[in-house]
Amino acid sequence: MTNKQNRYEKIEFLGEGQFATVYKAKDIQTGNIVAVKKIKIGSREEAQDGINRTALREIKLLQELHHENLIGLLDVFGHMSNVSLVFDFMDTDLETLKGLEYLHLNWILHRDLKPNNLLVDGKGVLKIGDFGLAKMYGSPNRINTSQVVTRWYRAPELLFGAKQYGICIDIWAVGCILAELLLRVPLFPGESDLDQLTKIFGVLGSPTEETWPGVKMLSDYMEFKTFPSIPLKSIFTAAGDDLLDLLEAMLALNPIARKNCTECLKMPFFSNKPAPTLNAKLPLPQNIRKIEECERPSLKRKLLDAAEGGTLSKRLFV
Amino acid sequence: MAGNFWQSSHNQQWLLDKQDLVRERQHDLALLTEEEYQKIFIFFASVIQTLGEQLKLRQQVIATATVYFKRFYARNSLKCIDPLLLAPTCIFLASKVEEFGVISNSRLISTCQTIIKNKFGYAYNSEFPYRTNHILECEFYLLENLDCCLIVYQPYRPLLQLVQDIGQEDQLLTLAWRIVNDSLRTDVCLLYPPYQIAIGCLGIACVILQKDQKTWFAELNVDLEKIQEIARYVMNLFELWKTYDEKKEIQGLLAKMPKPKLAPQR
Repeated sequence: MTNKQNRYEKIEFLGEGQFATVYKAKDIQTGNIVAVKKIKIGSREEAQDGINRTALREIKLLQELHHENLIGLLDVFGHMSNVSLVFDFMDTDLETLKGLEYLHLNWILHRDLKPNNLLVDGKGVLKIGDFGLAKMYGSPNRINTSQVVTRWYRAPELLFGAKQYGICIDIWAVGCILAELLLRVPLFPGESDLDQLTKIFGVLGSPTEETWPGVKMLSDYMEFKTFPSIPLKSIFTAAGDDLLDLLEAMLALNPIARKNCTECLKMPFFSNKPAPTLNAKLPLPQNIRKIEECERPSLKRKLLDAAEGGTLSKRLFV
Repeated sequence: MAGNFWQSSHNQQWLLDKQDLVRERQHDLALLTEEEYQKIFIFFASVIQTLGEQLKLRQQVIATATVYFKRFYARNSLKCIDPLLLAPTCIFLASKVEEFGVISNSRLISTCQTIIKNKFGYAYNSEFPYRTNHILECEFYLLENLDCCLIVYQPYRPLLQLVQDIGQEDQLLTLAWRIVNDSLRTDVCLLYPPYQIAIGCLGIACVILQKDQKTWFAELNVDLEKIQEIARYVMNLFELWKTYDEKKEIQGLLAKMPKPKLAPQR
């Protein structure tokens, strides 16, 4: 396995996250460009735990899942606690309901959906990536941590400390991402967990026992000053009614009332005209094959700016 | 895991062919008879089971560790890695994959030392020789030899459903569950899908308890020939157990077993 390290020739550094650094590399056996995710070793104590748990989660789940809209794991190499995962190389960041539906049908929660974990390949196909927090769900006695999902995309029940949750947390995140595609800025950019809730309720109104039965029983529940809800139409001025309906369905405060992927995919927005742009016709950054020369303040923004909001977001969400 | 067995790596890559198993074992079977080989695997399945119970792991984790162990040697000779090192490594990896709490490496090693001394003293005269760094090194080698296929489906969940369908009977479930545990001492987990193993073990349990469920079995939409093959593997194990005294024979068998060239360095 150690020989494999030589198989991937490092081209450039791509980015760094909490758990890993990512490099663009060339597979010298096939000539393909790949992304190599090197898991950080962490403290000496963590090294005693052997192969990193985050990496193991990604390995075990991606080995079982094969879908056009999920990132493909190509190879794993390393030695002891030093693990690297090799993925398809993706040109830029973005998302989709189809891939998520497939995950949920397989009883898996992603738990970290955000724009950076949605990737688009050179053909315009979107893939969900980063399975470091993903987990199987469905056992009623299983307690999960509520410290998941990057804050801006975290559902209100998580912010209130829910330890038992379901696919609705991923749907909320998708709703936030869709809103961000339309607004070009994050919808709820909270600076703290408290501020996050304030920002959410400032738009959607604060919850009551009537609109969200059981909310007061959540462990971290606290009373907020009463906000009225603002009509989504006034925020997303350019969006059609079908799109607003979809947003509303995904951003329902009460997790039970939130629609699932299959229900969302059946909503009128996805069957109404205009039809989604074909993958191949999606505007991609022009310099996508010459990334070295690109300064890349935000490929995602360019991608969005180049497109007409509605059609693009539809394509990416179907 | 929940999820789709039919599209799983377990179904697509890890249901092996009897002929392949025989071929892969050729090297070891030049030194050991088939029965001796099986006795060695029975012994290490017990080591994994005892270690898991001592660490208070759930049966699901123990079963997964045992399947890892068997998958590894389905492709490698016993001389590749000392099974006494691979057994705790499988427990270590399985407990992480199944996400049921953390076992610290030092606790793993000390538990190994305890059980080798107290429960398996009849097999080993010296103390457990491995340390954390051996386990960590072995873990990666194991992952690679499993082709990174970590999710293993077990017969327990289908068994629960089947027993419920027959009509909830505690006695039947308890016995069938124990037979499924016993089946980990045979090759069935390498050869047959877990739902068939569950049916095969349930069939044996019905026979032992003299419960006539012929009509229920006849209505199952399943390849009965396969079920009989599974039952035969398990019954052969029970036959072997009748005359086999592990305490007397195991030292001789371990001495005869092909071994890695390098002994671990302390």
